[in-house]
Amino acid sequence: MFNPDINDYQLTSIIAECCGGIAVVYSAVYKPYIQKVAIKRYFVDKDKEKASLIQQDILTRKELQHPNILPYLTSFVYGPDLYIVSPLMNLGSCRDILDRHYQEGLPELACAIILRDVLLALQYLHKQFYIHRSVRASHVLLDIYGTVRLSGLRNAASMIVRGRRQRQLYSLPPPDHDNANLMWLSPELLEQNLKGYDEQSDIYSLGVFCCELANGAVPFAEVPTTLMFTEKVRGSRPQLLDCSSFPEPLDDGEMKSMYNTDSGVGDSAEGVSRLRAAYARRKLSDAFHHLSDQLLQRDPEKRPSATQLLNHPFFKQIRITDFLPSLIGRVKPIKPDPGDMSALLLQEKISEMEIEKSTEWDL
Amino acid sequence: MDPRMCRKICSSESLPDAENEEFEVSNIIAPQESEDNFLLEGSPERHSVTWLDDDQIDDLDLNLDQTNLFFHRVDSADVIYRSKKKKCKMVGKYVMGDVLGEGSYGKVKEMLDSETLCRRAVKILKKRKLRRIPNGEQNVQREIQLLRILRHKNVIELVDVMYNDEKQKMYLVMEFCVGVLQDMLESSPGKKFPQRQAHDYFIQLLDGLEYLHGQGVIHKDIKPGNLLLTLDQTLKITDFGVAEALDMFSPEDTCYTGQGSPAFQPPEIANGAEQFSGVKVDIWSSGVTLYNMTTGRYPFEGDNVYRLLEAIGRGEPAPPPSSVGTLLETLLMHMLKRNPDERPTVQEIKRHDWVRARPALAAGEAAVGARSRRSDELHSSTVVPYLVERHYATPHHYFTEHDLRHELGDGGSRTMSTAELSDAESTQCKRRWHSSCGRLPSCRLT
Repeated sequence: MFNPDINDYQLTSIIAECCGGIAVVYSAVYKPYIQKVAIKRYFVDKDKEKASLIQQDILTRKELQHPNILPYLTSFVYGPDLYIVSPLMNLGSCRDILDRHYQEGLPELACAIILRDVLLALQYLHKQFYIHRSVRASHVLLDIYGTVRLSGLRNAASMIVRGRRQRQLYSLPPPDHDNANLMWLSPELLEQNLKGYDEQSDIYSLGVFCCELANGAVPFAEVPTTLMFTEKVRGSRPQLLDCSSFPEPLDDGEMKSMYNTDSGVGDSAEGVSRLRAAYARRKLSDAFHHLSDQLLQRDPEKRPSATQLLNHPFFKQIRITDFLPSLIGRVKPIKPDPGDMSALLLQEKISEMEIEKSTEWDL
Repeated sequence: MDPRMCRKICSSESLPDAENEEFEVSNIIAPQESEDNFLLEGSPERHSVTWLDDDQIDDLDLNLDQTNLFFHRVDSADVIYRSKKKKCKMVGKYVMGDVLGEGSYGKVKEMLDSETLCRRAVKILKKRKLRRIPNGEQNVQREIQLLRILRHKNVIELVDVMYNDEKQKMYLVMEFCVGVLQDMLESSPGKKFPQRQAHDYFIQLLDGLEYLHGQGVIHKDIKPGNLLLTLDQTLKITDFGVAEALDMFSPEDTCYTGQGSPAFQPPEIANGAEQFSGVKVDIWSSGVTLYNMTTGRYPFEGDNVYRLLEAIGRGEPAPPPSSVGTLLETLLMHMLKRNPDERPTVQEIKRHDWVRARPALAAGEAAVGARSRRSDELHSSTVVPYLVERHYATPHHYFTEHDLRHELGDGGSRTMSTAELSDAESTQCKRRWHSSCGRLPSCRLT
């Protein structure tokens, strides 16, 4: 049991600002156990609308228990703010790792391990009649022990409404501050028609996440939202990029218009051509391509379920001795920064602090 | 081929639809969506072509006694159409879709929020049209004020309000709904719902009413035409044009004006009472609505509005057919008590046995689906074709009247439906129909 009392926690550093500035994630130490934890602090005052979503997030996470889903330890209110305590995932989110260390995407084996673990989480969620609706790299957290955990449950929806099990849901997840979440959503969810969507919508999102992990860039990033929508509705599938994607070299302009990373490097023409060269050099396995094709099918009924996907040949390459952190050796764990610490002690108004804006670390 | 094509109106050849007999105009009138969207390329040296946009066509008074009645003979191969291209139009951050419905105030169109991709409906109000409706502008102001405050699962949400001073238009952006109970009733066998379905809607209506009355708001125009359904079958009470917010500090719920639809008015209003209980008006109208949903009939009928109000005023509702069962009958008769004080409150209705037990779907009964003649079966977004036009430019498609007739002839079964007439024409027909039927001042027909 973790005590819901601010005095039992020693904040050690700021990990990230998230949710468009209404929350900050700290690393902290829970003093009674001397255990590292992550604390997400919500400035509830800043957005009253979101308060019910946070509540939903906590309720959902309390209900769920799975090794690949970020657990909820405790929460409490201190001053005007709400604090939610979770285990510290000290390698950060997959999005952070991609932005900082792997702009061209993660190695295939690392992708396989992460995707398998996320599938296990989804298999569990779907059995509990939940649809996650927000499977994306910033919601998949890693630590130095090789644990992969899915977070972002505030967008999850239960298929049980007023005691009755629904076959379909119809509404969009609550809008996030920059509407970026739409890029991962399935065509049938975005269409909002009488056909509705079910848990197979998460499988499509997993497909987008799969391309994100392997390519570094999010498919449909940098195209207008409405174009992304029509592309999906018309059934165009994002692809894994490797030498088979570029039989002939593309010119820079074409490349840039197709895929663009939002990292600092990728925006320059030089960065783009460097990325393209990296894609053209590598060869991803046929099983990987097959998996991504299966996940991203336009017709939800044709997509395999989470359980079926766990038997996909792509995951056969994983050996029991494979250790995720050593496969992504460029990534260093989050360490408390003494400079940060003193600032923390001084600060009362968090908004005055300099926080790295580029990180996405949503709990 | 896109069937929503531009129609040329000329008298030399009869158009495939008889409704067009009304239109005899010497000039060629082509609805023009915007600048270059809708060119009709005939033989210009022979005709004087007048370009009109939709607004102007609305205004156009197509009286047959116009001075210039001159008939041209045009060969069908000379009449060239261009298929109506889905020209993508933005209002604010919203992308416009097709028309969902039309009211006396203006059109309701589908829209897509280009940022959140959320489907929306927009009520487009034209100042010019509003002025012609008794209390028009006032009602809209009241509706906006009320909807801004109200927030409940079963009350339509007003998302955004936009103004275009130049076009004198107002846009009320609302939650997207797939159907109106009224339309669904009209399309269903016996013009009624299975009791199970009516029950689902009625429960939600009660929740919505309970909330409204708790907020001191009297809707005053509850009827199937003002009850909408969302994709997930959530009922939404809409149209607060004649609603009234009670004085917060008044212990009574006294109202002084009734402007609702005649068939749903209670006896006290039909008899012209100066003041009456507002809450009980909504109870009565909900009773008539339930009566209508479950029997396909109305408790009071009359050949015209005056007879109808006379019948209501007498306050002897036709007993519902025995097939509805005694349980429902007692509820209906209780809600339709002539004396407002004898009508139940929302809480009392909720405790009634018919409301508490969800009726089973009888053998052979099937739920009536949300329908709209303008949408496909799945109610898919009508904005997509506009987005396709915007993001992937397509070449123009031209065809002649001759081709068209040929194709129609070949197609055999394919005939032109009213839905395929251009919107401008159908509004024109509607308007004529509206003005020809009798109305009470400050009363709206269903």
